[in-house]
Amino acid sequence: MFLAFKEIKHEKIRYGLIVMMIFLISYLIFMLSSLAIGLAEENTQALESWQTQKVVLNKNANISLSQSVLNKDDLKNASLSKNEAYLGQVPVVVKANKRSSISAQFLGVKRDQFIYQDQELIAGRKSKNKSEVTADQALQLKGYKLGDKIKLNDSKQKYTIVGFVKNAKINIAPIIYGDLATWKKLKVAMPNVVASGIISKNADYKLNHKNAKTYDVKTFINKLPGYTAQNMTFELMIGFLFIISLIIIAVFLYILTMQKMQNYAVMRAQGIPAKTLVAATIGQAVILVVTGAVIGLLLMELTILMMPKSVPMDFTPAIMLAGVGGMLLMGIIGSLIPVRSILKVDPVKAIGE
Amino acid sequence: MAAIQLEKINKVYGKGGAQVRALKDVDFEAESGEVVLIMGPSGAGKSTFLTIIGSLQKPTSGSVKVDGEEISQLSAKKTGALRLNKIGFILQAYNLVPYLTVQDQFVLVDKVKRQGNLSKEELAKLMEQLGISDLAKKYPGELSGGQKQRVAIARALYADPAIILADEPTASLDSEKVKEVGQLFKTMAKERNKAVILVTHDPRLKEYADHIYEMMDGQLSKEA
Repeated sequence: MFLAFKEIKHEKIRYGLIVMMIFLISYLIFMLSSLAIGLAEENTQALESWQTQKVVLNKNANISLSQSVLNKDDLKNASLSKNEAYLGQVPVVVKANKRSSISAQFLGVKRDQFIYQDQELIAGRKSKNKSEVTADQALQLKGYKLGDKIKLNDSKQKYTIVGFVKNAKINIAPIIYGDLATWKKLKVAMPNVVASGIISKNADYKLNHKNAKTYDVKTFINKLPGYTAQNMTFELMIGFLFIISLIIIAVFLYILTMQKMQNYAVMRAQGIPAKTLVAATIGQAVILVVTGAVIGLLLMELTILMMPKSVPMDFTPAIMLAGVGGMLLMGIIGSLIPVRSILKVDPVKAIGE
Repeated sequence: MAAIQLEKINKVYGKGGAQVRALKDVDFEAESGEVVLIMGPSGAGKSTFLTIIGSLQKPTSGSVKVDGEEISQLSAKKTGALRLNKIGFILQAYNLVPYLTVQDQFVLVDKVKRQGNLSKEELAKLMEQLGISDLAKKYPGELSGGQKQRVAIARALYADPAIILADEPTASLDSEKVKEVGQLFKTMAKERNKAVILVTHDPRLKEYADHIYEMMDGQLSKEA
């Protein structure tokens, strides 16, 4: 590390530029990762808050809750414990006086089941009757207030927001929790329809009867519209950024190493072991990457503080660790490329033979 | 026992018609406590000679012994350790690591050779003798050619090697400094019992030499 530190200290501009590039790449990786996680969470927030393990849907609904309808026949054999709850999903447009219209998902729930009971409120209270609803905090951020009377789609009935719920989004849309009977009304469902599906916290829960089929939550999430494509896009971008950082570090260190071959030849002639020179190169990569990544991390923290809450970003310790760890790994791999040249340096060149 | 001994050394570069015989049956011996000058025109084989006695490359044939130990077939790792512990190089150019201050050039030696280096007092005295005491915080890029050369001499001597090999050590020095450096080599040889081998064009160093050899067309002969 002695040689690594001394060289960086002496060549501040040269190494400063490399650190700047690593910082920019790290920052971009943190930004994209935070967005990817934030958006992914907005797809699955509600499912996670319900601790969903299994989802029962109509087998012809293409594993889509909003497309699924289960009737009394399908649910004839259904036995629901405290870990299962009926759920009805329908997309709605929320309107209210002097408020902007919001596209949301109405979820009809039963008051004696866990989805209703486990709602985590950040303001107000749970609904007590069919004309009351609770809404995701996103509505509060957009100016909706407790007591606001809202209309759903073109219904004439108004519903009162009595509470705001934490982490209540599905498929990036905010949720309006209401009564299952209201859902049937909004869905214009047949009288024998019970719900869109069943949500279970029990990993062993199974109901396969007539049109009802049980799916694992992972399968259900992967079939959420756009979820897999969105995640893959982010993964590809982040993956490419790691590869770009690897190439940048490798190319820079290789060029710098080539420029120092005469120095290395002199040092080798003087008996400085090759491992000292190799350690200096790897050490340099570690110093550059850690410095760049830490600056990126600090700027990212600052960005998160300044970013509006409506931007779906989630900068978790896992992202920090994965980002810095990934960059470090790329740096070390990148630094191994010039190592080969260092090991092959011919000390005779020091004499100018 | 001779500090360094070469027997029937041949060095051939290239193959077939492009073959060049850089050293021809060279025999050489240098004892501890002696200053030996190797003189000769450019292209005579002086640098090849220096790289072989310095274990930087292997001879095509012949024997090279340092302190009685055959080194011509040692591995790269072992020759590296040999150079670090027993041989001090003073080279013509690129002698100093450009991103290390004069002081750090010695620290680097300490990092890889933890014992047997000059003490702080000895280093201070050596730097004083070479007139570089006030250059400790300077980088090589801030030094003149002569200052660089003197720092390189100090660095080579800092590891207290038994053998000192110098390639044109006075190339950038004025006559006054040549005298000082020549005297320093002589003092190091006599007082510290080192074998000092200087490859040079500089006749001003002759007066400090115990033996003078001439290299001509790959053949080494002792001056009368």
